[in-house]
Parts: sequence; structure tokens; C-alpha cells
Amino acid sequence: MSAIAMPSRRPVVAPRFAMTRELMLVAVTLGLTVMVGLLNHDFVGAQNLRFMLLNSVVLSLVALGQTLVIAMRGIDLSVAPILGLAAMVCGLLAQTHGLSLAVALPLALSIGLVLGTINGLLVATLDIPPIVVTLGTYSLYSGLTFLYSDGTQVDAVPSTFAAFGNGHLFGVVPVPTPVLVLLVVLALCWYVLRHTAFGRAVLAVGNNASAAYAAGLPVTWVRIRVYALSGTLAAFAGLMFLCYTGSATVTAGTGDHIELQSIAVSLIGGTAIAGGRGNLIGTVLGSLFLSVVLTALVFLHVPPIWYSAGEGLMILAAVQAGIGRRRGSRA
Amino acid sequence: MSAWERSLVILLVIVTTGFGLGVPGFFDDISGFLSMTSNFLPFGIVALGLSLVIFTGGIDLSVGATASLAAVMAAQLWATMGLNIWVASLIGLAAGGVLGGINAAVIVFLRVEPLIATLATSFIYTSAAVAVAGDAPPSGFPDAFNTLGSGALSLGRFQFPYQLLLFLPLAMLFWLLVGRSAFGRKLVTVGYNSEAARYSGIRVPRVLAAAYVISGMMAALAGLVLSAYYSAARADMGDVLLLTTIAMVVLGGVSIFGGEGSMGGVIVAVLLLGLLRQGMLIAGFSDMVTSMLTGAILIGSIAARNLFSTRAGGFGRRLLAFVRRPAVAGTDITRHDAS
Amino acid sequence: MINARRMLVLAAAVTLAIASTVSAQTVDTSKRIKVAMVPKLVGLSVFKANQQGAEAAAKTLNIDFLYTGPVTASAQGQVDVFNSLIARKFDVITTTSNNPTQLAPALKRAMKQGIKVVSYDSDVAPDARDFFIQNTEYPAFGKALVDSVAKYIPADSEVAILSSTKDATIQNEWISALTAYMKTAYPKMKIVTTEYGQSDPSKSLTAGLNILQAHPNVAAIIAPDGASEVGAAAAVQKLGRTGKVFVTGCSNPDAIRQYIKAGIIKASPLWDEVKEGQLVMHVARLAANDALKPNDTFSVPGLGNYTVKDKVIIFSEPLIFTAENIDQYKF
Repeated sequence: MSAIAMPSRRPVVAPRFAMTRELMLVAVTLGLTVMVGLLNHDFVGAQNLRFMLLNSVVLSLVALGQTLVIAMRGIDLSVAPILGLAAMVCGLLAQTHGLSLAVALPLALSIGLVLGTINGLLVATLDIPPIVVTLGTYSLYSGLTFLYSDGTQVDAVPSTFAAFGNGHLFGVVPVPTPVLVLLVVLALCWYVLRHTAFGRAVLAVGNNASAAYAAGLPVTWVRIRVYALSGTLAAFAGLMFLCYTGSATVTAGTGDHIELQSIAVSLIGGTAIAGGRGNLIGTVLGSLFLSVVLTALVFLHVPPIWYSAGEGLMILAAVQAGIGRRRGSRA
Repeated sequence: MSAWERSLVILLVIVTTGFGLGVPGFFDDISGFLSMTSNFLPFGIVALGLSLVIFTGGIDLSVGATASLAAVMAAQLWATMGLNIWVASLIGLAAGGVLGGINAAVIVFLRVEPLIATLATSFIYTSAAVAVAGDAPPSGFPDAFNTLGSGALSLGRFQFPYQLLLFLPLAMLFWLLVGRSAFGRKLVTVGYNSEAARYSGIRVPRVLAAAYVISGMMAALAGLVLSAYYSAARADMGDVLLLTTIAMVVLGGVSIFGGEGSMGGVIVAVLLLGLLRQGMLIAGFSDMVTSMLTGAILIGSIAARNLFSTRAGGFGRRLLAFVRRPAVAGTDITRHDAS
Repeated sequence: MINARRMLVLAAAVTLAIASTVSAQTVDTSKRIKVAMVPKLVGLSVFKANQQGAEAAAKTLNIDFLYTGPVTASAQGQVDVFNSLIARKFDVITTTSNNPTQLAPALKRAMKQGIKVVSYDSDVAPDARDFFIQNTEYPAFGKALVDSVAKYIPADSEVAILSSTKDATIQNEWISALTAYMKTAYPKMKIVTTEYGQSDPSKSLTAGLNILQAHPNVAAIIAPDGASEVGAAAAVQKLGRTGKVFVTGCSNPDAIRQYIKAGIIKASPLWDEVKEGQLVMHVARLAANDALKPNDTFSVPGLGNYTVKDKVIIFSEPLIFTAENIDQYKF
């Protein structure tokens, strides 16, 4: 073999360690659900199962974007205020000017697209480290939310919004609408990452940016698009947040530090901070796992003050489980 | 003084005179002006310690949680166990060092990236802070303690805030430590290239440990000063610290990848961002708008620096420069070692 | 309507009493003064209603009015604002506080510099303010809160409280009033838990969900805060417990209208927030003019006559919103 290090020796789409991380997450989640269910039957009742599923959707949407960014060896802290801004703008317009859901959707997506693209431009063309850029845009975008809303809280949404965030399609589909939407988004992202040239480019850039550049990939353009995508997903999550909780505040997203949560969940899902790999399904499963754990803690009457610590420990455990692996080829 | 530091000083002078002339209440007299520093020096204290960590190419996301936990711990020792407030504070300071040590242990022994490690520990420390604070977070400390945070020393008709009295020697100490001591040189070398540092005999784990322990202690000190200022200790007190202090360090010229920068720049950046925020608050702008400005300055300054240092002309030039420094430009979120 | 009648009788009695009162017709508005209104957080709808009234009154009283404060329920945030107001040499600071003792040092500093301090709604330490406008008598409000749900649930039910923050003065006053009343009037009723929503709609929703999941037998949630009542009602709706769990609290009518119509909230006590805002400005003006004594009486055109007792002014009786009258109020 040549002495020149090749960016990736194995084919990109080779399910080597066939979905170990995903299976592990599913097993742990099911195990936990069953265990708590034995202690408290309501935990495994249809209503609670539905609730835990629904509760994980917003974070999953944000985390999908974050996973793509991390796979490209970047980071996006500004997803939190982007979520908040989208939720606030759509919320205020709906509450006071009767904005319809049909218009809210493209509006939210555009907000995310624009803000994400700004991130991408700053990172890709001005050579500023992503953590610095998104730290700066974090405060810029939060400030925008405040300026736009003047601090107002949205506490009521039209019934169409509430139905979108909590209901079932046509009233009959057994799976709640947000979950269906998440599955569609997940499928789209998965397809883009695994089966398009863009997706392969994202992984190549994350793996070794200079080699990717030398190989002729449009690194700058790829970067811009990934951050744009992350922003769009975060904004969409903001609309979903608005519809699910029926509210929006200046601190929606930032208050719960959803940017840190999305990083945590991506790590738990098996995506490495070093880039080059992105486990989208793992991310969604990780978010679901987190939702189940947090709900279990409530059912078991564990004081809320320990939730944060639990999350921290889970991050360490998840990262430890992946430490053994060298930078591999799995997409 | 490097070009970057010079620009920062010029900016500081512009901001101070601008606000002094344009905003009533900003500069009524020297004492009043100096007393404003009490509002932002805790950030400066954290920035001093955080700089050490960033010099090594790492990051410490747990500074806020550490500050809160140490403050709440000290407050509870005083409130429920009756310890003397100063003794309790010393214990809090030591606790900060321990928390930093835990960070270092996770990074060195468990070999977890600093970003992830300190992200995880920040969650854990936050929980601990809430648990220690309990139902009634302590408040109403003895006046002698509160003066540390909000009081001033009278020198004739001239008031010199205690916080400034604390910060200036500390800043000088750190400046000497980083710029003039063997430890400082080791610190920067580790950040520049940890493999080379190891080969040249530097005990990298020790240097890292020292950096994180000091960062933890500085965060704890900041937490204690904040609790003196507000005469109360709460579990969320340190939340505001993280983003602004990173901004101060980076604005001060320290590369986020490590290995580059100086303490002097950080100190000027602390004053610059602090006075800027105070001026805007006094002028009536809301806190959030002021944060926007900080964010814009952060991005703007790094962008300007990059543009100048690559002597970029057009877009093509920048891309060319991009190729010349491939492993660095915009790829890493933290310095990544090949080990 | 009984409340209105009682008010009329009270007003008539006071007017009849010949008093050396300060009549509003002679309020000195020659000097323009700067008055700030610093709520617990700027976004809560009930505080925005205060702002509405205050702004209108400010115009007639020659007041330069500023509404400002933190975006989350933070005592620290309020202290930072006070420091800025002191530096800007405001004449009067009016505030409703997140914590009675933490704001005291800053307010005392203000008073030392000749700035008048008027607290309203949620009080601060009595030596840190010149006057306090109390919404209603606390025992009456506590009784109203309990009666609003007790009529609809069995006498030995489990009840939960969803408050704002742990140290908020006004919530704690109401909670002690309602627990005292409950002990005497409904001795078999139990308060099983108290949770906190931080005056944030989505955090309140989460707290409400936590309550219902951890205590499935809870029959009512008393949520004495603008955001927490909405959060509790939303949680009941989300978990499908409408008709089985009743909610009450003190939120503005616009926010709870949909839940009153859905039957989740049967009765909800409050007071006219807009008019209270007007009163705050009048008292601020009188205080700035040094025209009000710690024990005094005064009248405000359009609002009525008020008594000052030990620097405390009681604004009104509780105003109960129900399905019958909810559409008459818009704020």
C-alpha cells in the first residue's frame, strides 16, 4: 500500500459494526422502560409512551442538524437562539395577526436558512473557528429575538398550530403528527448524508479538510450549506416547539441550553466530535432515550435537581463507549 | 506590546472617552467611574484562569457551574454549619481547585476531549449546586464580606473598589506567569503542539492539570466575589459567566486552538468589554442588546485579524491562504492531538 | 357583582368622611419626573397589562415613563437594572420583586440618593421602599384561590401547587394564606407537592406535566402566577385529564380564556391589572412630590379612594373570572 495516507481506505457505506450503537440504545431504552413500567404501570400506558415519544421530537430535530455539523468537524451553538427566534416570530404573528400555519412553515424555514447561512459564511470564508462564530451569533440572534418581541411572552396559539404539535393526521393515524414529521426529516437527512455527493463531501471534509480540498471538493460551499441546514432544522424545531408547547419566550431554546443538549444527544448517539462520521439514527434514538430517562425520573419521584447530573454522566458514558474506536469510515 | 494589543488599547480609550462624553452618569468622577468595575470584574477573574486552559488548546465550559457550586458551598458552610465566612470562602476556593482537578482527570485519564469533558462536568456541577443550595439559598452575609464585592477603600476623597484591588495584583501575577515564567512557556508549548512538547520533556498531563485546577479556582473566586456583591448565593449565579469570558479571552488575542496569545491582551479585553457593557446599560440599552454588541465585536475582531494576517486581497487570496494552513483554518473546534 | 357593590359602599363611606385628604385634582404635575416600572420579568402578560395602565396615567401626570427589567424572573437581573436607574438619576423606581431581601441593598442605595421607591404586587423588605401597593388582602385572595377549585372536587382530594419561583414574595404570601384557609375550611384536602415554573410558560408546562405524572391522583392544581396557571392548564389538556383535574391561579383573562371555555379552569381570581398600573403611577407621582404620608388617604379620578396604612395601600378586592364574565375583560 502506498505510504501516502489516504483519507479513507474503506468504502463509505460499509456497515462494518452493524449498528451496534443504535441497537445498544434501543436495548437500554426498552430495558429502562420495562423496568420502570414494572414499578409503575402508568409508565408503560399508551398515553405515557406517546408522551415520551412526542417530548423528544423538538430536541431530535435540532440534534439532527447538529449531528451534520459535528460530522463536518464543526459546532453550532447558535441553534438555541435560532429555535427561539423562529418560535417567537411565528408565535407573535400567530397570536396577534392570525398568521396561518401554511405561512408559518416557510417563514420559519427561511429564518433558519438565512441565519444558518450567515454562520456558514462567517466560518467558511473568514476562517473564524466555528465555536467563536456560533458563540457570537448566539448572542446576536438572542438579541434579535428580544428586539423583535420586546420581551413579550407568547402564551396562546391557534388551534391549527396546537393540532400540528400534538395531534394526529386526519384524526386517525395512530402516530402523532410531530413524530411522523420527524421520521420524514430523519429519512431525508439520512438519504442526503449516505446517498448524495453532498453527504459524502460533508464526511470527507470532517475527516480531513485539506485532503478533501486537494481532492477537489468545494469545501467552502459544503461548509456554508451544512450550517445553513443546521439553522433551517433549528428553526423548524422552533416552529414545532411553538406548536407543541403552545408558547414562546425570549429564552425559548437558550433557557434550556438546547445547543448543549443537541451536542450531548449527538454524542450519545454515536457521532464523534472529531468528525468524519455522523450517526443520525443514533441521534434520534439518543434523544428518545433522554426523554425516557427524564420521564422515568419524574415517575420515580427523583428530585429534579439530579436530572442535570444524570445527563452529564450519560454524556461521559456514551463518549467512553466510543473512545476505543479510531476514526473510521462509517457514515 | 503587539499590534493586536495596541489596537485593543486604542479601542478601550475610544470607548471610555466616547461614553464619558456621550452618556451622563458614566464618568461623573473618578471614584464613580472606578466603582463601575465592580459590576464586571468577576468576569475578568474567570478570564484569567480560562486563558490558561485555552492556551493549552483546551476549553473549560464548566466555569459557570464551578463558580455557582463553590459559592453555594461556601454560603451553606457559613449558614448551616456556622463557619466563619472567610474560612468558608477559603474552602470554597479549594473546592474550585478540586472541581478543576476533576476536569483534568477526565481529560487526561479518561482521554475525553476538553469540550465534552467540561460540558459533562458542567451538567454535574450544576446539579450539585442546586442540591447544595437547597430550598433556601443562603443570603445576607456579614457586611465585612459584602464590602469585598460592592465596597471600596477610601484613600482621601478617592474610592478604590475592593474588587479592583483584588483583580489588579491577580492580573499582574497571571501576566508574569504566562509571559515570564517557565510554566508559562510550557503552557503555550503544549497548546502549540503537545506531541513536540512531550518529546521535549514537558510533562503534559501536569501542565494540563495545573491549568484546569487554576481555572477552577479562579471560577470559584469569581463565584465568591459575586455572592459578596449580591449578598446572596444562588445555584444559577455563574450561568452568565461562560460566554462573556470566552469572548474576553478570544478578543484578547488568545487563539482558540491554543499556543498563541498574551495575557496583556486578555486584561485589556476584560476592561474593554466590561466598560462597554456598563456604558450601554447606563445609556439605557437592555442587557440583551449589549450582549449582541459583544457578540458582534467578537466576530468582527477575529475576522479583522484573519483578514489582516493573511494579507488577503480578494476571495481567491483567502482560499489560497486556506490551503496553506489547511489543518487549522476553520476545521477544528478545539485543537486535536494525534495521540 | 357583590364585589362591585362592596367597593361602591366603601368608596361612598370614605368620600363621606371628611378628611384632610390629598385630592387628585390638586396633584402637582409641574415638574417632569422620570419613573421606571421594573417588573419581575418584562414579558409576563399581567405585567404588560400594568404597563398599559401606567403608560396611560403617565401621560396625564407629566411622567417620563420607562418599563424595563430582566427577561427571566431573576432578582439579580432586577438589581442590575436598579443600578443603571440609579446612575441615570431616575426620580422614582416602582417594582414588583422576585425576592424580598436581595433587592433591598440596591433599593436602599437608591433611597439614600433621594430616589423614591414604590413596590407593588410582590413586596420587598419594608425598609427598602417608601410605599407598597398590595393587590388585594392576602386572606381574601387565598380563600378565592381555594374556593375556585374546592367546589368541584371531593373534600379529601389531593391538590398541588404550581408557583413561580421559590422566593417570590407575593406567591409565598398567597400560598400561606391558602394553606391556612384550606386547613380550616377543607381539612381533609392535602397539598401533595409544590413545583415551580419560573414564570416561564414552557417551564410551567413541564412542571405541570411533572406534577400530573408523579401524582396521578391530583384533582386540582393551584397555580398562583400568570405563566404557571397557563402551564398547568396546558398540561392537563396535554395529558387528556380535562374534567378530572381542575386548575386555578391568577393569570390575565386573555391567556386563560380558552381553558375556561374548555372547562379546565372554572374560576380564576385576579384584579384589574390595567387600573393597578395607573394607581402605581399616581402613587409614584405623589411620592415624588412628597405629598403622601405613611398614614393617609387620597383619591384618584377614575379609580377611587385609597387609604395608606403604614405605607401600605390595598388596591382592590379579588376579581373572579368565570365562563360568564371572561369575555368582558380584555388584557
